[in-house]
Amino acid sequence: MIILETRSLKYTYPDGTAAILDLNIEIKKGKKVAFVGQNGSGKSTLFLLLNGTLKPSEGEVLFHGVPFKYDSKSLREIRKSVGIVFQNSDDQIFAPTVYQDVAFGPANLGYSKERVDACVQHALEQVGLSRLKDKPPHHLSGGQKKRVAIAGIMAMEPEVIILDEPLSNLDPVGADEIMDLLNEFNHFGSTIIISTHDVNLAYRWSDYVYLISNSKLIGQGTPAEVFREQELLKKASLRQPTTLEIYQEIERRGLAYGKNSPKTIPELVNTLKPLDLMWVDVPPRVKEGDSLNLGVMYGEYATQSPYEAINATVLHIHPDGRAIVELKLKGIKAGGVLLYDTDSYSLEEIRQILKEGEMVFVGAMGKKSKTLAEQDGIHLDVTSGVIDKSILMALCGKRCLILTAGGMVDHALKKIREYVEKSGIEFTVGVANREEGCKWLEETDDSPEMFNV
Amino acid sequence: MTNILDDYALMSPLRHRNNWLKLAIVLFGLLVGVSSTSPITPFFIALCMSFTTIVLGRAPFKLYLKLLLAPLGFAITGVIIIAFFSGSGHELLSFELIGYPLSVKADGLELALLVLSRSLSGMCCLYFLSLTTPMIELFAVLKASRLPDSVIELSMLIYRYIFVFLDMALSIRYAQTVRLGYSNFRRSIHSIGMLGSTLFIRTLEQGDKLFLAMNSRCYDGKMTLFEVHRPVRVMELFLTFAYFLSTLTLFYFTKNISIV
Repeated sequence: MIILETRSLKYTYPDGTAAILDLNIEIKKGKKVAFVGQNGSGKSTLFLLLNGTLKPSEGEVLFHGVPFKYDSKSLREIRKSVGIVFQNSDDQIFAPTVYQDVAFGPANLGYSKERVDACVQHALEQVGLSRLKDKPPHHLSGGQKKRVAIAGIMAMEPEVIILDEPLSNLDPVGADEIMDLLNEFNHFGSTIIISTHDVNLAYRWSDYVYLISNSKLIGQGTPAEVFREQELLKKASLRQPTTLEIYQEIERRGLAYGKNSPKTIPELVNTLKPLDLMWVDVPPRVKEGDSLNLGVMYGEYATQSPYEAINATVLHIHPDGRAIVELKLKGIKAGGVLLYDTDSYSLEEIRQILKEGEMVFVGAMGKKSKTLAEQDGIHLDVTSGVIDKSILMALCGKRCLILTAGGMVDHALKKIREYVEKSGIEFTVGVANREEGCKWLEETDDSPEMFNV
Repeated sequence: MTNILDDYALMSPLRHRNNWLKLAIVLFGLLVGVSSTSPITPFFIALCMSFTTIVLGRAPFKLYLKLLLAPLGFAITGVIIIAFFSGSGHELLSFELIGYPLSVKADGLELALLVLSRSLSGMCCLYFLSLTTPMIELFAVLKASRLPDSVIELSMLIYRYIFVFLDMALSIRYAQTVRLGYSNFRRSIHSIGMLGSTLFIRTLEQGDKLFLAMNSRCYDGKMTLFEVHRPVRVMELFLTFAYFLSTLTLFYFTKNISIV
């Protein structure tokens, strides 16, 4: 379903400079969209057009298929549904306290006092700033201000959230937190649009990318499509994303194959498998193309995980009964990633999981979970890039626990399952304190078969 | 980060107490202090207020002394002049300064002490307010006192932007200093002029951005102010009444007493 759409949109500044030229875009509901282009390419102007602040010189903007009308009542509706977070938080936060700033939007929507309060509490909790609600904005750090700005928009419960350069001026951890937050909102159904000139971010995070250069749309598509076209990137004065660049260099040297587009480091690592060929004696009656089960390797022969099942595909049979096979190693009882939903949190349970589940690596996602862990003295090995690092650890046969809450649980679960499916390396994924339970903890038996997903 | 009084007030534990109670205490102190006829009551008020500010309000003692010292300097100069040049009655002290006779008389000293004590009590009351009640708490009080909404909204915006522009001014000044903008008097004048004009232009720009920001969150000409409900606790009420009663008793019994 298309939620926002522009048709031959054009905008010229009063002094005659063109900011947007003939722009046609269709943004689908529930997607993560990135507008990528260098500074001054017209991204910010486009955003102001998308929430009705600027009126296009030509063309139109449509919300749910209905063209924008620019009378005050329709504008209110649009601005309620399309929230915009500015690049500079100081431009956006104007009330004397955090609470009052977040309450500004809901109060303008004419909600009752109780409802405004509920909206504000909820929004502040989501961004992890409930404790700072009575602080004045000038006592906050840059990352905190950004989160207040986002909470101010979230409190109005918009369908689309637009963020102009959300990560500018943030440190890496602060940036990760903001991206975690955006993923969580997206998981609950919000459509998220960001502008950025960070190609790595756009490549890794978004579902769909628009390349903008000199007020014009010069390319669009999934990140894998867009960022492969080097000519297009050159035209937009952008570079290729690092992981993709590394992968292409590796591929050129014949160390990887398959025309992949790895987005994260685990995905990149997973492509580093050259064709593994071996001479083996085969029984008679085996044909080319058959699969053979060659047994289980362990100890120093198993490189990926404690036990590896070896399957082989016969490529060519020699007359003397020997054959060339392509080996496929499959980890059994690799490590695993266990998620823990901190919405129903008990310290004892976590202690028990850590001990009985032999967890060696603990991470937390989301402000709330990090605060909880800090309070109760749970040692965290990692607090940013948690999913990627946990996958890497699981690949090395370690067991990881991720503390997280709300929509992030499902988001992480989805991400990790996707990885397992794509890579073919199996390791256990589960949520500890949900109804379906986790086989893992009940079967601490050592037999490898029981740990298959 | 803490360089203005408001920052200390924000950190004070008394910030989260009922604003009206604090205002009542301050007003009571000011009125009784000014109408007292002997210096004892105002000194008592000053002592109580200082105790509350430092011990209960956790204001740093050194800072408090420094704050008091500035206005006390003025008060003491005035008081010395009053002591020497007014009043009648028997002489307590007299000497000649370059052939000019100077003397302190009993009435004059009495008056001087009264003036000193009154100004001290007033200062302590006001410092109590400004060190325990940050501006953001007072907006609700302003609202309840039926000031026009536009005045309150403006003051809220001004309060927020004071800090934005303060930051801006400091960073501009820093940028000027590192490029030797303040190396001599002429350049300093020039630099400060540039700073002022730049700030002025930035405020205009910021105004535009503010309008945008408010508009994109459905601004309809009204900023709602949410007053946090802070009930007065029994203990607070008890302490306040004890203070009021003891001050009034002292006021009654010392009204005809002179200490000189």
